[in-house]
Amino acid sequence: MNKEVLFKDIFKANTKKIFHLCYGYTGDEDIANDLMQETFLKVWQNLEKFRNQALISTWIYRIAVNTCLSYLRVEKRQAKDELTDNIIETQAEEVSEKNEQVAALYKCIAKLEENERIIITMVLDEVPYPEIAEISGISEGNLRVKIHRIKHKLTELYNQHERF
Amino acid sequence: MKDFDALKDIWSNQVELARINADDILKLVRQSKRRLSAKLLFEVIAMAVAVLLLVYTWFTIDFRMWTSHAALIIFIVCCVYVVFAQLRDYRRLMDNSLLLDKPNEYIDYLKSYKKHRYVLNTKKYRSYTLFFIAGFAFFFIEIFFVASLWVTILGISFTVAWFLFCYFILMKSYIRKEEQRLNEMIENLERLQKQFSEDESR
Repeated sequence: MNKEVLFKDIFKANTKKIFHLCYGYTGDEDIANDLMQETFLKVWQNLEKFRNQALISTWIYRIAVNTCLSYLRVEKRQAKDELTDNIIETQAEEVSEKNEQVAALYKCIAKLEENERIIITMVLDEVPYPEIAEISGISEGNLRVKIHRIKHKLTELYNQHERF
Repeated sequence: MKDFDALKDIWSNQVELARINADDILKLVRQSKRRLSAKLLFEVIAMAVAVLLLVYTWFTIDFRMWTSHAALIIFIVCCVYVVFAQLRDYRRLMDNSLLLDKPNEYIDYLKSYKKHRYVLNTKKYRSYTLFFIAGFAFFFIEIFFVASLWVTILGISFTVAWFLFCYFILMKSYIRKEEQRLNEMIENLERLQKQFSEDESR
């Protein structure tokens, strides 16, 4: 298969989940788009290596996780704080109730530890546990315990957020 | 009160916010390939020109003392070393196979890469400056014999002042900033590594 066609197919099949992972990790839509772009650039460069692999998505996730981990948020965090009240108000008006719930969920995910954010976005996207274990380099047994704990933590955070 | 399944419903109903499509990426692949090679080519050409100028000076000017030849050799070796170091780091940075490693191993690589860059930008840069000082010192020996005393004193004073300014003002603050940045990065990476390795110990 032609490399460009293969790449487009891979992009179409994985873009949504990879974006969720990047957004869940950074909590910022723009940075998530940048990280997703960086991830797929690297996927293109590595395409030959996993051309015949059965589970391409595992490798794409691995690249995305490592790309997110190498993004150190020290420099970019200030930029977010510079948003004026005006911009925040305008954005708030545009957000529907449904989107508000999604935004709240992302806000709660942002409060988790980095590896928890990565794992829970994959759980929410229904990635099978053995694949999550393979991607994160954690044994399946430990992963199950960890997922149970993160689910509980996230649900509590969300309910707390709703109460206030 | 919502349970995890309710959160899953919210998650699955989210509107897509990804703004990038496959064609954008392919366009970027072509652009960045050109940009990176152009940047690298520019660096290599700039240094090659510097080396050629030094070689030209070496062959056209009739230096009488061995110290001047030593000075030129030091300058040329320093320039070649910079090109070599840049190329080696560029290749290391472009090694994408590491991206397929487990996160824990990848964090290890990031830590070692950042430490390596720090050593290159601080300690090795310091040795590089010392070599340049030695080169200039050798060079001024011949200047002392062929030029007037005032020209020599002026040349030495200017060079010494420039090096002192670079070493004690520019480089000190540069090294301090680099050190702060690196410490922050390493702290972050260690925190991440701890998160991933803790999973195995539990």
